[in-house]
Amino acid sequence: MQAALPPWLWNLIVAVVKPTLILAFIGLNALLLIWGERKVAARIQRRRGPEVVGGPWGVLQGIADGVKLFAKEDVMPARADRWVWSLAPSVVFVPAAMVFLVLPFGALGPSGPVLVMRDLENAVLYLMAVASFTALGIWMAGWGSNSKYSLLGAMRAISMLISYEVPLVLAVLGVVLAAGSLSVVDIVRAQESRWFIIPQFLGFLVFYAATLAELNRTPFDLVLGESEIVVGYATEYSGIRWSMFFFAEYGALVASSLVAANLFLGGWHGPFYPGVHWVLIKTYALVFLAIWIRWTLPRFRIDQVMDFGWKVLLPLSLLNLTATGAWMAVKA
Amino acid sequence: MVRVPRVDSRSGLRGAWRAVKSILVGHGITFREFLKEPITIRYPEEPVPYPPGVRGIPSLKVNMETGELNCTACGLCARSCPVGIITVEPMVGPDGKRMQYPAVYRLEFHRCLVCNLCVEACPFDSLEMADMVELSQYHPEALVFERDQLAEIWKRSRAVRIAGGQKI
Amino acid sequence: METRELEEDRVLLRLNLGPQHPSTHGVFRAIVTLEGETIVDLEPVVGYLHRNHEKIYEHLQYPMIVPFTDRLDYLSAINNELGYVLAVEGALGIEVPERARVLRVLFSEFQRILYYQLFFGTLAMDLGATTPFLLAFRDRERGYDLMERVTGARLLYNYLRIGGLRNDVPDGWLRDLEAYLDYFEREAWPQYMDLLLRNEIFLLRTKEVGVLPSDLALAYGASGPVLRGSGIPRDLRKDDPYSGYENFQFEIPVGERGDSYDRCVVRLYEMLESIRIIRQALSRLPDGPVMGQLPRGLLKLPPGEYYQRVEAPSGELAYYLVSDGGPAPYRAKIRSPSFVHLQLMPHLCRGHKLADVIVILSSIFPVFGEVDR
Repeated sequence: MQAALPPWLWNLIVAVVKPTLILAFIGLNALLLIWGERKVAARIQRRRGPEVVGGPWGVLQGIADGVKLFAKEDVMPARADRWVWSLAPSVVFVPAAMVFLVLPFGALGPSGPVLVMRDLENAVLYLMAVASFTALGIWMAGWGSNSKYSLLGAMRAISMLISYEVPLVLAVLGVVLAAGSLSVVDIVRAQESRWFIIPQFLGFLVFYAATLAELNRTPFDLVLGESEIVVGYATEYSGIRWSMFFFAEYGALVASSLVAANLFLGGWHGPFYPGVHWVLIKTYALVFLAIWIRWTLPRFRIDQVMDFGWKVLLPLSLLNLTATGAWMAVKA
Repeated sequence: MVRVPRVDSRSGLRGAWRAVKSILVGHGITFREFLKEPITIRYPEEPVPYPPGVRGIPSLKVNMETGELNCTACGLCARSCPVGIITVEPMVGPDGKRMQYPAVYRLEFHRCLVCNLCVEACPFDSLEMADMVELSQYHPEALVFERDQLAEIWKRSRAVRIAGGQKI
Repeated sequence: METRELEEDRVLLRLNLGPQHPSTHGVFRAIVTLEGETIVDLEPVVGYLHRNHEKIYEHLQYPMIVPFTDRLDYLSAINNELGYVLAVEGALGIEVPERARVLRVLFSEFQRILYYQLFFGTLAMDLGATTPFLLAFRDRERGYDLMERVTGARLLYNYLRIGGLRNDVPDGWLRDLEAYLDYFEREAWPQYMDLLLRNEIFLLRTKEVGVLPSDLALAYGASGPVLRGSGIPRDLRKDDPYSGYENFQFEIPVGERGDSYDRCVVRLYEMLESIRIIRQALSRLPDGPVMGQLPRGLLKLPPGEYYQRVEAPSGELAYYLVSDGGPAPYRAKIRSPSFVHLQLMPHLCRGHKLADVIVILSSIFPVFGEVDR
C-alpha cells in the first residue's frame, strides 16, 4: 500500500495514525487500570471493588469516572500563572505517550518484523531523556497554582524525581552494556537465550524501585499522600485537567512496565511461542506488582526517600554497572 | 512487667537482610489475603443477618388475641428516657376519669439514643426493641412515631422474627 | 567568613492542620509553625466535638447517665461505663455479684482488644498503608457481631448497670468468644505484626520520632500506653485494682525509648495480655445472678465527693462525682486521658518534620469524644 500512495500522503497518514494508536492504547489502559487497581486493592482488603457499572464485574467503572471528571467545572485559581498552569497537565502527559514510540510489542516470528513504532538506534537514550520531562510538568503545576501547598508538594516531587533518575539510568546502562546496543529491539533480541533479569537482577531491583519513585507510587507517594493536606502539586486542578494527571500516571505505569518487560524480562521471548502475548503478559504482571506493592507498604518520609535514593539505590546501581563492566572485560 | 521486644534495625548486611525480609513477608500476607474470599455483604441486595435482640426502635407490644396494647400510659418510660423523647398522654373516659390506655404515645426517634432504658423501665411488658434498624427518612419530622405506628412496627418485627425461626 | 544571624533571617510559616483532615483522628486542629520543614511550635485547638457531657449529667438521674458515658471514648464504650458505674456503686455501697464482676472484666478487656485493633488500623492508614485498616476492621466487625449478640448494639452498648449488668450472655456466646480469641491470637495478631510493626518502612517512620522522656511523661500526667511506652510500668489494673482485677494474672508491656514505635508496640502486646485475662475469666466464670440488690426508690448518692478511676485503653479515665443528696449529680467531672495527652503534642513535635506530626498524633491516639466531652 505504501507503494501506491505518494510519499507525502503516506507520511501524513502515518503521522496521524501512530499517535492515535498510542493515545488509544493509553486511554484503554487507563480505563482498564482504573478498574483493575480498585479491584485488586479491594481483593487484597477482602472487599469486592467496583461492581455496579458494566455488569457484575463493574468493568466500565473507568468510563463512569471519566464521565464524572469531564463533566466537572474547570476551575482555575484566580492568581495562577495562566499559561504555566494550563499547560502543566499536558507536559506531564505527553512524555508518557512519547515513550511508546520506541517500545516493541512483539515480533512476528523468531526473526520476522518487529511490532514497534520506530526502532531508534539510541532508543534507550530517547527513553531516559523523555522520561525526565514529567518532572518539568510537575514543577509547572506546582508553581502555576500559586498556592503554598502546591508549591511545597511540587518542590518535594522535583527533588525526589531528579534524584531517582540517576540510579534509573545507571540500572538501564547495565542492560545496555550487556546487550551492546542502545536500541530496545536489539536488547530484546539479545535476551533470546536468557532474560536479563537473571544476570542483571540487581539492576532490575534498582530499576523497579526507581520507577516506582518516578511514578510517585507508594511507598514513594508522599507527594500526594498525607503530606501537607490535599494533593500537593495537583491541588488546584479539577475535571479534565485532573484526569490528564491520572491518565499520565496510568500511562506512565504501563509504559514503565513495558520498558521493564522489554529490557529485563525478554520482551516477546517465551516458552512455546514467542509473540505479542508474552509482552503483554509480562507488562501486566509488572503492573500487578506495582499495584500489589502500593497496597502493602506504608510510605516514606521525604528525607528517607532521598536517603534511600542516594545512599542505597545509587551505590547498588554503580555496583551493578561495575560488575557488568568487569564481566564484559573478562569475557572479551 | 515485661519489656516489649524492640525490633533492632541493625545496620550493615544483617540489617539490610532483615529489612528486605520484612517487606517480603508483608507482601506474602497481602497476597494471601488477595486470594481469600471477600467478607463484605452486598447490601441492600443481600440481607444483613441481625442477631436476635438487636436494638432497633422501641415499639409498643400488642396483645395478639385482643389486639390491644399492653401499655397502661403510666409514663415510666417517658420519665426514664435520658433525652426525654417520649410523650405519653392517657385516654380520658366519658366520665372524665383517666383510663389505663394511651391516647397519645409519641416517640421522637430522631433523638433516640437506642439505649433501651424505656424498655427496661416498663413494668407492664409493653415496650420491646423492634428488630428494625433500617429506618432512614428524608425529613426529621418523618421520624416522629405515634402510637399506632409503633404498634405496626412491633407487629412487623415480630413477623420477621417468627419467619426467621426465632422463638417468640 | 560571613555568619548570618539566624534569628533575623528566620522565615516562619504558620500552617493550619484543619479540623477536617483525613489523618487527624476526628476533629483536631493544630496550628503549626514551620521553619522550612521543621516544626518550631504546635498549638493544639480542641473543642470541635464538645457535646456538654458534664452539664448534661447534672440534669440526669444516676441510672440514666450510663448511656451517655458510652459516648466519651466511643471506641471502647464498656470501659467508660465501668468507671462511672463503679463510682456510683462505691458511693452507695452496692454489692455486685461475682459473675457480674468477672463478666465486667471480660468485657473491658474485650473492648480493649477492639480498641487496639482500630488503633492499629488507623496507625497504618496515617502512614499510607490502607490495607491494614481494612484487615483491622475485618476482625473488629467480628467483635461487633459478638457484642451485638449480647447487648443488642454494635458500638454504644448501655450494657453495664449500677449493680451489675443488664443481661447475661446468651447460650453459646462464651464458646464463640473463645473461638474468636483463638483466631485472633493465631492468625490476625501475627499478621498485624508482620505487615506493619516489623516492616522496615514503619520502623523508619516511628523510631526516634516523638521521644517522650519518662520524667516529662509523669510531669504531664500521661497514663496508659503513652506512659508505659516511656518505660514506666504504671497500670491501674495492678496499682489500684477494681472489679476483681487483683485475681487475674497478667503482665504489663513496657517500652524502652518512649518513641512512637514503643507506644505502638506496647499496645499490640497489651492485646495479647488482654486475651490472657479473658481466658482466665472464661475459666473461672461463676454461675449466679448478674444484677445485685439496689436500694429501693430513686437512687440518691449521700452528699459528698466520689472519685473512681479505671484503666481505659486510652489511659487513666476517672469520674469525679459531687452529690448534694439529690437524684442527679451536683457536678460530674470526667478526667479524660486523651485530653491530658494532647498537652504533650507541642513537646513531642518540636524539632520534627511535618510528616511526623501525624505519626506522633497517631501514636498518642487521642479519641476526641473523650477530649472534648
